[in-house]
Amino acid sequence: MGTTAIAMPKLGMTMEEGTVVEWPVALGQHVEKGQIVLVIESEKNEAEIEATAAGFLRHVYVDPGEVVPCKTLLAALTDAVDEPFDAETFATEHRARYGPEPAAAEPAPATPAASAGPAVAAPSPARRPVAPAARALARKLGLDLDAIRGTGPHGRVVRQDVEAHVAARERLVEVEPGVGLEVLREGEGEPVLFLPGFGSDVSSFAMQIHSLRPTHTCIGLNPRGVGGSDAPEADVYAVERAADDAAAICDTPTHIVGASLGAATALELALRHPERVRSLTLITPFLVRSARLRAVTEAWARLAAEASPEAVASFLLPWLFSETYLADDTARERTLRGLAPAVARVPAATLERTRAGLEAWSGRRSPDDLGELRAPALILIGAQDLLTPDGESVGAALPHAHTIVISGAGHGLAIEEGDTVTRAIREHLASVR
Amino acid sequence: MTDRKLSVAAAINEALHIAMQTDPDVILLGEDVAGGGARDGDDVDEMGGVLGVTKGLVKAFPDRVLDTPISEMGIIGTAVGAAATGLRPVAELMFMDFLGTCLDPLLNQAAKLRYMFGGKARVPLTVRTVSGAGMQAAAQHSQSLYWITTGIPGLKTVIPSNPADAKGLLLSAIRDDNPVIFCEPKTVLYASGPVPEGDYEVPFGKAKIVREGSDVSLIAFGATVRVALQAAERLAADGTSAEVLDLRSLQPLDEEAILTTLAKTGSVVIVDEATPRCGIASDVAALCVDQGFDHLNTPVKRVTAPHCPVPFAKVLEDAYMPSAERVIAAVAELS
Amino acid sequence: MELKPDDLRLAYRHMRMIRLFEEKLSDLVQAGKLGGFLHLYAGEEAVAVGVCSQLQETDVVTSTHRGHGHCIAKGVEVPGMMAELFGRATGTCKGKGGSMHIADMDKGMLGANGIVGAGIPLATGAALTAKLKRTGNVAVAFFGDGASNQGQFHESLNMAANWQLPVVYVVENNGFGEFTPTEFVVPVRDIAERARSYAMRSEIADGMDFFDVAEKASKAIAAARAGEGPTLLECKTYRFMGHFVGDPLPYRHKEEAEDWIQNRDPLQGFERTVAERGLLSAGELRVIDGDVERELAAAVAAAEEAPLPSIDELLTDVYVETA
Repeated sequence: MGTTAIAMPKLGMTMEEGTVVEWPVALGQHVEKGQIVLVIESEKNEAEIEATAAGFLRHVYVDPGEVVPCKTLLAALTDAVDEPFDAETFATEHRARYGPEPAAAEPAPATPAASAGPAVAAPSPARRPVAPAARALARKLGLDLDAIRGTGPHGRVVRQDVEAHVAARERLVEVEPGVGLEVLREGEGEPVLFLPGFGSDVSSFAMQIHSLRPTHTCIGLNPRGVGGSDAPEADVYAVERAADDAAAICDTPTHIVGASLGAATALELALRHPERVRSLTLITPFLVRSARLRAVTEAWARLAAEASPEAVASFLLPWLFSETYLADDTARERTLRGLAPAVARVPAATLERTRAGLEAWSGRRSPDDLGELRAPALILIGAQDLLTPDGESVGAALPHAHTIVISGAGHGLAIEEGDTVTRAIREHLASVR
Repeated sequence: MTDRKLSVAAAINEALHIAMQTDPDVILLGEDVAGGGARDGDDVDEMGGVLGVTKGLVKAFPDRVLDTPISEMGIIGTAVGAAATGLRPVAELMFMDFLGTCLDPLLNQAAKLRYMFGGKARVPLTVRTVSGAGMQAAAQHSQSLYWITTGIPGLKTVIPSNPADAKGLLLSAIRDDNPVIFCEPKTVLYASGPVPEGDYEVPFGKAKIVREGSDVSLIAFGATVRVALQAAERLAADGTSAEVLDLRSLQPLDEEAILTTLAKTGSVVIVDEATPRCGIASDVAALCVDQGFDHLNTPVKRVTAPHCPVPFAKVLEDAYMPSAERVIAAVAELS
Repeated sequence: MELKPDDLRLAYRHMRMIRLFEEKLSDLVQAGKLGGFLHLYAGEEAVAVGVCSQLQETDVVTSTHRGHGHCIAKGVEVPGMMAELFGRATGTCKGKGGSMHIADMDKGMLGANGIVGAGIPLATGAALTAKLKRTGNVAVAFFGDGASNQGQFHESLNMAANWQLPVVYVVENNGFGEFTPTEFVVPVRDIAERARSYAMRSEIADGMDFFDVAEKASKAIAAARAGEGPTLLECKTYRFMGHFVGDPLPYRHKEEAEDWIQNRDPLQGFERTVAERGLLSAGELRVIDGDVERELAAAVAAAEEAPLPSIDELLTDVYVETA
């Protein structure tokens, strides 16, 4: 974790000020060390400025066209795209430490941080706030504080964050050496495995798990790079690998519930490891991704790199939900509030890798392949689904499938039609004897 | 245990009766501690102190309850001399604000004789004094100056929050061989509560958990214990479990109890009726940071009076004093 | 009042010891061997010794910042005092008090006191103890003319008179409150006049004359012991050596000081009187002088050799620790 400043350089003895000409890198994008991040002009010469360290272009203080003195802070890079960063504090600190000194006529900044001693100086952004108790616990447990998300005021890491991190680590199930995935288990009974869709975590099945846990062992699996699951370095998170991961945590024949990309994982699981699958519930499944789905996932991944989780959630809302659902202000507000933290649990890198996996899998399985599947299947489809409109063809290809099309519902079926979906799953599970 | 309920004032009166019955060296002196009363069969009654706390004692112990002139320095100075030579005086300083008129006998005499004399003196003196705001007594009759006496090595300072502790702490104070400042906060003086019968002592330096909780520790003493309990009640309704620790004794200070509750909750809000600078709240906060740093999950918060004199107008006095609302607001700032 | 030869020998011995003690301290300070603030009693010996010669060991006195004389007169051991001034573990107060706080409760010495006037209510309290516990003891507060301007003086005298306590207030009027002549700050001619405000007996004694002080103290002490209440006894005296060791004395008339020192020295006066009355011979006094000198030299030597206090002592005696 750390922040790198980009300041107006002093390129010659006589240079006093410079003009920002261009920022060739978009805000939020990653730059490599040595990559051109800035073009300036001084004394009628343009100069390309390279990044002195790798990082994400986190904040731009000076827009193109502005003329500023040498040493003026122009932008900040952060190591991680989502680490806590306070642009104002960073600027204040930077100026206090590196200048430029205020012009003689200009009074010194009257902010306490600049005028008083270290006791009131704002914490350096490179040192994000950590409660002593959290620091002590992390030290005791040998944990890296940088890996722990802070939920306290100003992003402070508090003891509860460390405990949550530990609890999350304890829930990890190793699916291959060095790769632990977050597995949530609730309830008692026949096992039901929930596989979330693209960019989602198991919280998208909250209603179903809540309802089924009195009678079933509900197992929620967060795929690679989602939530507390490890995010191993890779270009592609393949659907096949996700299916193998799911197989690794099913030691007995299990009811599999998957939504969207999770349905693809479920199909792949059933094809590759049929002995682990007791039944299938495929919510808004597909075999070939639609062009619209490609466009949406592309935008999603990009937006996640550049915008807040709240912005991503509001972007997704119209794609995931039906006209009727969106017309309900209460439902819309509530979903937006709930979706943002879920979206925040899936970083941009995971979306890119998962998207690559989705693209690679699309079209790889034919309806004929599905014909071999013996497990009883329930197909749930939203009549207004904009993203996976070919769900019914999946149902048609499966020999033991029962398809339910829910009228007036969108792609986010498990949320939008939570009760209907739950009831359908419950009946389906009961029918598999 | 008893269901008997007494006010703090009555509990103090009872403790004085017991102390004087059990030890002939205990005397009571101060302004109006007898407070007039029948002389030579005159048909009048005594006042028993400005707030009536010592009423009845002069009848029971006519030779040992001494009305003094309004001479605080003389009262306390004389009491120190008497204590150093064999009596066990309980001197009444009517209001703690009057400390200004008699600080030397406490600061330079009572507190230091033993040390200066190489351990060859003892000063078993108790100074009872009414402290704190809440009666619209304004700037010179409402101060909580226990931070001054607490900061003087050689003195002990205690402050009860309820009648049972008042009785037990006062008996301990009188029987302690050191000079003890016993504060009687105005807003608890007439608070009623169960008081055990008979002779018992509440030891110094032992804080008491008056409400168990797990999310935040409210550290209070004297009048602020009730404030902290009210806040805890309302916080509980919002799902925050607050522990309330009543310090009872400011010197000696139960550091262990403070650090234990800090370790339990990770969050501390200190509620002090006194002004904020150089006070008990700051002192306890410093202890938490110094000795309990690795337990701190949130900043240490202080809820105190502001750095200003105690005002007269009710609305201003209410604003001056720590309230449950302010405690709740401080807790809200933690997360 | 009856003074037996032994009483006189002891009185002279005390007076001589005080004088030599203070002179020795002055030398030791100049030799750089003593630290802290020192206020010397030389010149006022007749007051402390005159009063204390009339007290019993269980009677209690309180003293002042200029307290060595009262300590010696009340019977505090000189070696312990000297060791205290050297800041040694063997000092009267284990090296924790120093010059202004020498005390010995076993000898009825309730402490020198660094706060002007603070001993007055302490003695008043000791008298309250004596009265309520019926011990028969008397308390004496020694203090200067300066202290008679303090509130503690007036509050105490009022209370003591009101309660008829067995206490004698001895004001040592040496003509200066620190560096300021008494008449600059005191509107009454005699401090003793102040007793009238409290319906209290008062006396004025020649503070340079042991016999006059003893005589008047004897009466006051007897009255106190008899339950007749307090007395304010003013002793007119003179400070031979300045307010503190190192006082350059610019404020004092040389002729005035010469007169007191040359013509009114209490030790010389004592010697004259005992010779006139045929009570003690000069030879006896010289023997005492020699004894005192040797004793003091031994006390200094012992103090210099004595161990320093252990650092552990820093935190003991702050409170009475009860098991």
